Amino acid sequence: MFLLSFLRDLLTHKYLKIMYKLLLNILAATLVTSSIFAQDFNFPALKGYKIRTDYPVYVRENLWDFIDGAADNYLSYGFVDVHVAEYKKGRAVIKVEIYRHSDNIMAFGIYSSERSPSFRFVNLGAQGYIADGAINFFKGNYYVKIKTYSEKEKVLRAEESLATRIAAMLEGDAAMPSMLSWFPSVGLKKNEEVFINESILGHSFLNKGFKASYQLGNDLFYIFIIESNSADEAKKAAETFIASTGISPVETGDSKFVLNDGYNGSIFLSWKDRKIVIISGLAKDQSDIADRYTSEILK
Amino acid sequence: MKNLDRRGFLKTGFAGVAGIALTPSSISQSLVQADEDIIYRILGKTGLRIPVVSFGVMRSDNPGLCKAAYDKGIKLFDTANGYQNGNNETMLGALLKSYPRDSFFLATKVKAAGITREGTPTQETTAEDFLAKFSTSLSRLQMDHVDILYVHDISNPEMLEYKPILNAVKKLKKEGKARFIGFSTHRNEPVVIDAAASKGDWDVILTSYNFQQAYRKELDAAVHKAAEAGIGIVAMKTIAGGGFMDKEKTKPINTTAAIKWVLSNPDITTTIPGMTQFDQLDLNAPILRNIAMTDQEKQDIMIAASEPGLFCTGCQHCLASCPKRLAIPDLMRAYMYAYGYNNPAQAGELVRELGYGNDPCKGCTIQCNLKCSGNFDIRNKIADISRLSDVPSEFLA
Repeated sequence: MFLLSFLRDLLTHKYLKIMYKLLLNILAATLVTSSIFAQDFNFPALKGYKIRTDYPVYVRENLWDFIDGAADNYLSYGFVDVHVAEYKKGRAVIKVEIYRHSDNIMAFGIYSSERSPSFRFVNLGAQGYIADGAINFFKGNYYVKIKTYSEKEKVLRAEESLATRIAAMLEGDAAMPSMLSWFPSVGLKKNEEVFINESILGHSFLNKGFKASYQLGNDLFYIFIIESNSADEAKKAAETFIASTGISPVETGDSKFVLNDGYNGSIFLSWKDRKIVIISGLAKDQSDIADRYTSEILK
Repeated sequence: MKNLDRRGFLKTGFAGVAGIALTPSSISQSLVQADEDIIYRILGKTGLRIPVVSFGVMRSDNPGLCKAAYDKGIKLFDTANGYQNGNNETMLGALLKSYPRDSFFLATKVKAAGITREGTPTQETTAEDFLAKFSTSLSRLQMDHVDILYVHDISNPEMLEYKPILNAVKKLKKEGKARFIGFSTHRNEPVVIDAAASKGDWDVILTSYNFQQAYRKELDAAVHKAAEAGIGIVAMKTIAGGGFMDKEKTKPINTTAAIKWVLSNPDITTTIPGMTQFDQLDLNAPILRNIAMTDQEKQDIMIAASEPGLFCTGCQHCLASCPKRLAIPDLMRAYMYAYGYNNPAQAGELVRELGYGNDPCKGCTIQCNLKCSGNFDIRNKIADISRLSDVPSEFLA
């Protein structure tokens, strides 16, 4: 209070105005819980469209107010905040939502959880797609969702142009997570890889893993790869998994097990160093397939 | 116990694990379904007989978990057109197609497009868009009908009467594509539910309902009025704060107690806790057969309810106890703009609009006896946020 009054008095001196502004910004910066202000993104201009950015910046505590029950999924992927803008020209409206997540893997996680292989994929950021007037993509720590309800060709073109500009504006790596290269290519179903941050196969002790879908003939199965922080952590998680099914854990190393995980069916589990490989969807007598894939991943 | 040979998968198999005793956390092998003893309630005028615990599928991506829930006796599965951009419906559809259609209930939600922040419709809020989204939902679910179709997120009573959407859901009900129609609400619930109770259009309401809501009296009154009118009430967000009392997640909530507390209101038919883990299902499944709160559970809820919430709910209970008659809910809203929305410009605008100046409590000679139903430290929050009145707006933009 004293500081503010003092500064206000000093305002009579023109040369101090700059310092006053600087100090007030510092004061304001201490007021908010994070370092960003409302709409600190400079949303790109779109010819002929008016931009409206006076939306709140939604954070973890109030994301529910913005996207209802879908918020939980975002929160589970390290959601930080979302900036919203609306572009309007006549009756045409294009809405942009830029979700910031804690890191690139988390951004891929939320993006991949909402991705379907049936969408039309485009070269935007690390990857993007177009579906029913929506253009979604991720880049760096960001997941971007752009939507229009207009079906007019001009508006759809403007939307694509806007998406390109936003992708160029955002900082961060425009590549898919390198861990995806661990998945063998034979039988891999394209654009079905996901990152699961919590509770793989519904187990609280299996977290932060990539999942890919495979089809070999009529066999549909799934491979999960978890990279733990240490070999000890990987061993502990694998042993906890085994113990949860009622089997005593055995020695570590290049261990390979087949488990009956109840509702998850038969599971092929193995681990080496920091990596855990889990295969579900195969029958218990298909261990040759499981062996082949596991060996390639853990080689 | 038997150790497995680790030379290769081929050397091992299910013979090696047969007959092994279950660990307490291993729900996966307890496949027994006991229908007797499960507590059912009737969902208002729909007549649907539903177990008191249902499944908010929301962010679960594991069909095995849904299958386990079904086998445990859970019969209502709740999803939405927008959850995981449709992948949630797709997962459920692929699973449930192998079950007899009359052995479960499926509820989904479709959001009307173009709704403003005030919850009112715009030119984009069309029946065509709504119907197209619902058609997509049915396709993903691989079903010809859903049991309950909710209009997703109604926060303004105006939307209850908005003809394009109301007529669309009525049409779907008439065509048999939605057996019953309803809406979900988690903002301004008492007003919206009260308004719906006065109309005959809606069969079911899905409302947020938990022990931390400050407007308990108003919400209970509205829920009771709706239930009396024959509207079935389903509760969501029953585990307030996502399972923790604080945003640092250091104080876990007794989730069993929280769900039982909701079910202590007989107007609530069922709850839809979100689950992604077998452990959570393990915790929730026993509630299907026992909703009586133990003394410890009652105490846990009392303690949790006494924790201050993160944001002002605008209940206005504080107004009468402020000698200066300050618009405290508005000041708390400004606080929320600054700390919750990271929007000091909006907070500053509101503070200046109120015109109290910096620290309006200062100099108040009457002993402050403010009572906040959310246990906010109102005095300090007012002192904190009112500082913005001294900051010119151009510096906060």
